[in-house]
Amino acid sequence: MSTMAAFTVPTVANAPINMDGLAEKVAIRNLDFFYGANRALKDINVSLYHGKVTAFIGPSGCGKSTLLRILNRMYDLYPNQRATGDVLLDKENILAPHQDLNLLRAKVGMVFQKPTPFPMTIFENVAFGIRLYEKLSKSELEGRVQHALQRAALWEEVKDKLGANGQSLSGGQQQRLCIARTVAVRPEVILFDEPCSALDPISTAKIEELIDELKDDYTIAIVTHNMQQAARVSDFTAFMYLGELVEFGETTKIFTTPNDRRTQDYITGRFG
Amino acid sequence: MGEQSVVDVALQGGTMVGAQQADRRKALQKLRLNDVIFRLGTRAAAIFVLVLLGAIIVALIHGSWPALQKFGFGFLINESWNPVTENFGAIAPIYGTVVTSFIAMLIAVPVGLFIAMFLTELCPKWLRRPIGVAIELLAGIPSIIYGIWGLFVFAPFLQQYVQPAMINTLGNVPGIGNLFAGPPYGIGVLTAGLILAIMVLPFITSISRDVFEAVPPVLKEAAYGLGCTTWEVVRYVVLPFTRVGVIGGVMLGLGRALGETMAVTFVIGNAHRISGSILAPGTTISATIANEFTEAVGDLYTSALIALGLILFVITFFVLAIARYMLMRLNARVGA
Amino acid sequence: MAASFVTPLYGKRQRRNTITKFLSLGATAFGLTWLVLILIVLLWEGFSGLSLRVFTEMTPPPGAAGGLLNPIAGSLVMTVLAVIIGTPIGMLAGTYMAEYGRYDKLTFFVRFINDILLSAPSIVVGLFIYEVMVAQMGHFSGWAGAVSLAVIVIPVVVRTTEDMLILVPDTLREAAASIGLPRSLMIQRIAYRAARAGMVTGVLLAVARISGETAPLLFTALNNQFWSTDLNAPVSSLPVVIFQFALSPYKDWQSLAWTGALIITFAVLALSIAARLLTAQRKQS
Repeated sequence: MSTMAAFTVPTVANAPINMDGLAEKVAIRNLDFFYGANRALKDINVSLYHGKVTAFIGPSGCGKSTLLRILNRMYDLYPNQRATGDVLLDKENILAPHQDLNLLRAKVGMVFQKPTPFPMTIFENVAFGIRLYEKLSKSELEGRVQHALQRAALWEEVKDKLGANGQSLSGGQQQRLCIARTVAVRPEVILFDEPCSALDPISTAKIEELIDELKDDYTIAIVTHNMQQAARVSDFTAFMYLGELVEFGETTKIFTTPNDRRTQDYITGRFG
Repeated sequence: MGEQSVVDVALQGGTMVGAQQADRRKALQKLRLNDVIFRLGTRAAAIFVLVLLGAIIVALIHGSWPALQKFGFGFLINESWNPVTENFGAIAPIYGTVVTSFIAMLIAVPVGLFIAMFLTELCPKWLRRPIGVAIELLAGIPSIIYGIWGLFVFAPFLQQYVQPAMINTLGNVPGIGNLFAGPPYGIGVLTAGLILAIMVLPFITSISRDVFEAVPPVLKEAAYGLGCTTWEVVRYVVLPFTRVGVIGGVMLGLGRALGETMAVTFVIGNAHRISGSILAPGTTISATIANEFTEAVGDLYTSALIALGLILFVITFFVLAIARYMLMRLNARVGA
Repeated sequence: MAASFVTPLYGKRQRRNTITKFLSLGATAFGLTWLVLILIVLLWEGFSGLSLRVFTEMTPPPGAAGGLLNPIAGSLVMTVLAVIIGTPIGMLAGTYMAEYGRYDKLTFFVRFINDILLSAPSIVVGLFIYEVMVAQMGHFSGWAGAVSLAVIVIPVVVRTTEDMLILVPDTLREAAASIGLPRSLMIQRIAYRAARAGMVTGVLLAVARISGETAPLLFTALNNQFWSTDLNAPVSSLPVVIFQFALSPYKDWQSLAWTGALIITFAVLALSIAARLLTAQRKQS
């Protein structure tokens, strides 16, 4: 595996990327997923790279959210859902039965479509996850909370009302609070499941900016049905259709000269 | 100290990832025991509910065993109830239970359905809430209050005005005349049935109203759109749609009526016999137990009373099981 | 134009509609009338016997003046005990049904059985506790009374806990899981907190329900004329005292019975209003 020291971090997603210096963080090999007897994902093979944003696009029902939710084994909460194949996070297969789920989910954070702040104060929302794993002094905890809120670009707006209920914020602020909460736990991978679909355009822009700032330190995967968003935000794009991964590559290439006919049809709006 | 980017740490040859993982693993280990205990505890509590029902059945059978052994199935049809000769039979209490409940349902079901119809179709919006609250008030009044109200107010009223009129008019009608024969005691099977009706009415009403409200408005609008009158919409659209739910609610109300103790005990008259007239005193299973249990001397007497309790439990169990089954079917259909 | 629709059949339909409209209005008036009658009598008779003495003196022998202090105290104690015993069991069972075992067979059966227990005759519960506690211990006791009330509390709390927890959106649970929160902590810190108002409402409703229950106490806690702090012996309670006094031929006993009935009804009403306010508050937030 190549060392991390050799790659350059691009600032504009559409600039060509040097493939040599990439560090593979998550490797998905021969992944199948079943809802009961229904095979929803068919033989998926794709990789996620550290310091990069990978977008998953495709029409409704193509399986992109399903794929994302395998990466933190969220499907384990429900019966009748199972995955076969390999999903390697830092060379360890997270689908293995002995995998500690709580540990996994601390490493792989998720931001959901609908902002879901906990029924607690803003401070508590962020501190909650930290407290779970670490015993910190009051000032250390406050420092961590502030840092997380700053990274989520929310600190300036809430620093005077940390004791207010998390659910009293606006939609865009709630989503940034959820991002702060996720970041506070210090994950290595962050999954965004259509994070902006419930938000207005201005909040959406703020969150896209945020993802751009965050990506240096994390491996980011984002599911979106908004192609323009995928083009703006991501370095790599995967196009999925009917449970299959049709095409994967650098975002610039996918959006300008895709290899597969289906990809081209989707991008040009023929369907979806 | 700010958070360093993973790149910087890696360039410095650090192992930020490793150290964090070890700490987190330790923290989660500590929580694991709590996790397992809590999970097992909830499961145990759920099983406890099943055990509770089993325990009730076992305890009742155990307690009634002496009486069941002595009397066998004849217990169910024996009309005598003699503590002195220790000859006990359940038919009089069973009869009273069934008849009072039947009278109660006969009145409460139509009235309840009509009130539900009023509340959902005819009542002005601002009045719905207050009346709904009033119905729930009626449901919340403890049964012992119905009992003393029945004893001190309702029974004397019936005795003075209503029952004499009944005897003079309905008592002379051939066929059902015997049902209304006899002196106007005031207390008796009919009175108990009427009190029970008032008690069960709010249950039937609120369940019916809830299922009526669940009818999709488009369905009703389609009927109204054809020019149907309110009654026709209720009869041909609402009732068929909610049929299963209404029956479930009725069975629930019946289960309640069968098991009701205090409201009935005060006004049933406590006479261990079956008489042809519903104006006469009688007894129900729960009234018998309530009145006699603490005075019962001798194991056989107590055991006979517990046997009555077992019979009551079996009857209500079946009625409630049918009710739950019907409501389950309703939920499955509506997709709730 | 309209004339062609007005057939003799139409007239009959209109008449039928009008009749049923009146019937439904009448039925509503009928139902409300009973409520009014009962409440009026209760208030009249209850208030006329109400005085400070009711809350400060013991139950008297017939012919003497007295109060309802010991039955009120006995009822309070046994109610509190019943809630302390029954609520944790009910909450844990409801938690299993909504969280860990939402779709499994055990939950299906427990739900079914629980609903039957919910509407089971309370006198049967009294017999049950008599068999397992009073007969075994050899005497009536306040503990037996409290336990029989707890058996009535459990199904109510199970039902409301399960219903309220199911209302908590799955997205909240997933958000908690996504930061690596173990299941039990997620339930205790997040789900319970989100469903808090509903679960408290459930407890209030259970208390309202057992406040008026007489039958289960008749042969478990029995009755006690005097002030007693010994739960291992018979304990008096408001419903049982009302039962005894109302069926007696003594006028002052009957008057105390009405007053006791008024007190119980007020308590039940207050609890129901509190429960309703909590639900309304929750809907607003």
